Amino acid sequence: MPRVFRTFLLLALVALTAALVFSACGDDDDDNGGNGGGGDIDISGVPELDDGVLTVGSEIAYAPFEFFEEGTETPDGLDIDLAGAIAAELGVSVEFTNTAFDGIIAALDLEDFDVLMSAMTITDERSEVIDFVPYITVGTGIVVPTGNPDGIAGLDDLCGKTVAVQISTIQVTMLETQNDSCENDINIVVFPDNPLAVEDLRTGGSDANFSDYPVAFVDAEASEGTLEVVNTQIDPEPYGIGVRKASTELNTVIAAALDAIIADGTYASILSDWDLSSIALD
Amino acid sequence: MNELLAIRFDFDTFWDFLFDPIIFKGLWETLKITTLAMIFGVLLGVVLAIMRVSKNPVASSAAGLYVWFWRGTPVILQLLLFFFGLKQLIDEDIFRDNWTRFRAAVIIFGLNEAAYMAEIGRAGILSVESGQMDAAKSLGMTNLQAMRRIILPQAVRVMVPPTGNEFIALLKNTSVLFAIGIVELTNAAKLQASRNFRFMELYSVAAVWYLMVVTVFSIAQAELERKLAAGERDQPETLFSRVIKVMGGSRG
Repeated sequence: MPRVFRTFLLLALVALTAALVFSACGDDDDDNGGNGGGGDIDISGVPELDDGVLTVGSEIAYAPFEFFEEGTETPDGLDIDLAGAIAAELGVSVEFTNTAFDGIIAALDLEDFDVLMSAMTITDERSEVIDFVPYITVGTGIVVPTGNPDGIAGLDDLCGKTVAVQISTIQVTMLETQNDSCENDINIVVFPDNPLAVEDLRTGGSDANFSDYPVAFVDAEASEGTLEVVNTQIDPEPYGIGVRKASTELNTVIAAALDAIIADGTYASILSDWDLSSIALD
Repeated sequence: MNELLAIRFDFDTFWDFLFDPIIFKGLWETLKITTLAMIFGVLLGVVLAIMRVSKNPVASSAAGLYVWFWRGTPVILQLLLFFFGLKQLIDEDIFRDNWTRFRAAVIIFGLNEAAYMAEIGRAGILSVESGQMDAAKSLGMTNLQAMRRIILPQAVRVMVPPTGNEFIALLKNTSVLFAIGIVELTNAAKLQASRNFRFMELYSVAAVWYLMVVTVFSIAQAELERKLAAGERDQPETLFSRVIKVMGGSRG
């Protein structure tokens, strides 16, 4: 090949690679625009909202709180709707960033997004790292194969059984604590996300799946009759919208927006749309 | 700069977890599965390699099809397909009770590895000059006898470096086993980090142990290569041979 041509080819290849690399540097955002000019909350002192967008980190794999509408990339769910309502109240639009649950607090800390809203229970350990605005109260549920062959009625019955859970959830901690009072240890099998844990239960690899009650309920419904949920909600605790410790102004306006939508009935109506009025904050 | 690093990297946590039993348990899982899968993969791979170079069209295409599928799909997909998927299809207790996570991990990784080993084996066999096979045949050996006594022993020398590579790759690929609920080294670290939020410290612990294993293995591989080069004029230098030379001994 003539020398000039070779050099040209090499430069073209470098240019093409550079173009591809830079075009790939973009945000992975899912838009869920709220109507601008919402309520009377002053957001001028909130640096995170200067761009007019509330960015929310969430692991969008936890129906009914956050999930992708079937066959689409559109997020839907209780958390999604509540986030939208809060953003509208603040007069900004909302965008969601799908983030793995076990790294989501670190991601918030690294300012990947403004807040996190991912069906996260407020715990002492988590509160050491970030602050929370409580928004609903949810307990844990146990999913078992239909017919409940092991006769599981509560946490105590999980001793000696194999239970599938998601990493980084309070359910892992709850099972480990339960293990202290068990004669036969619980075989705790951990998965990257809850759908895989449910899959393990469905295919007989585990005896039960332990997750948030509304999620357990939805998983049982969607299982085509193969799974059922045990009818007790264990230890209801508040969920929180996660905010960086340094984001004090954001914390204040989010809390104010939440109060506003509770006061005007938007909150209650969203919860009732999802049949989740029972988990309202009290 | 060092102060900045020291403030945000907690060395106490790092040292605590470096020798933590839960981390060791994860490391042990990684080593167990990698070793068993590798043995399975090498044995099956050599058989497939012989089939691939065979003149028999059935053997050659069967092996070719095998390699095409097991090299052509990601191992995590293979795990999901053949662990969860198979159990979904076969709703029998006798299958589901025996197709455990651990067994599925070893077998699926082994089947995957065999596809890569088949190609390495084929390269090794092809590297032996055709005169060797002719000479063997002229002495009255069958194809298989020639393979076993003449060709494969010579092919092995060429196969060692890429096989070593495969072992190291497999060691690290086992981290995807988390998708089927197996907690090996990487995810043991991840699990601990999810509790104390010390991600950097715990991921560093995992990195240290991977490097330790790979280092020990590389030394062993170098020694094996040296042994296989016995009789050659230029012996490859290894860590041990250099150390022995420095201490005044003679080793080639």
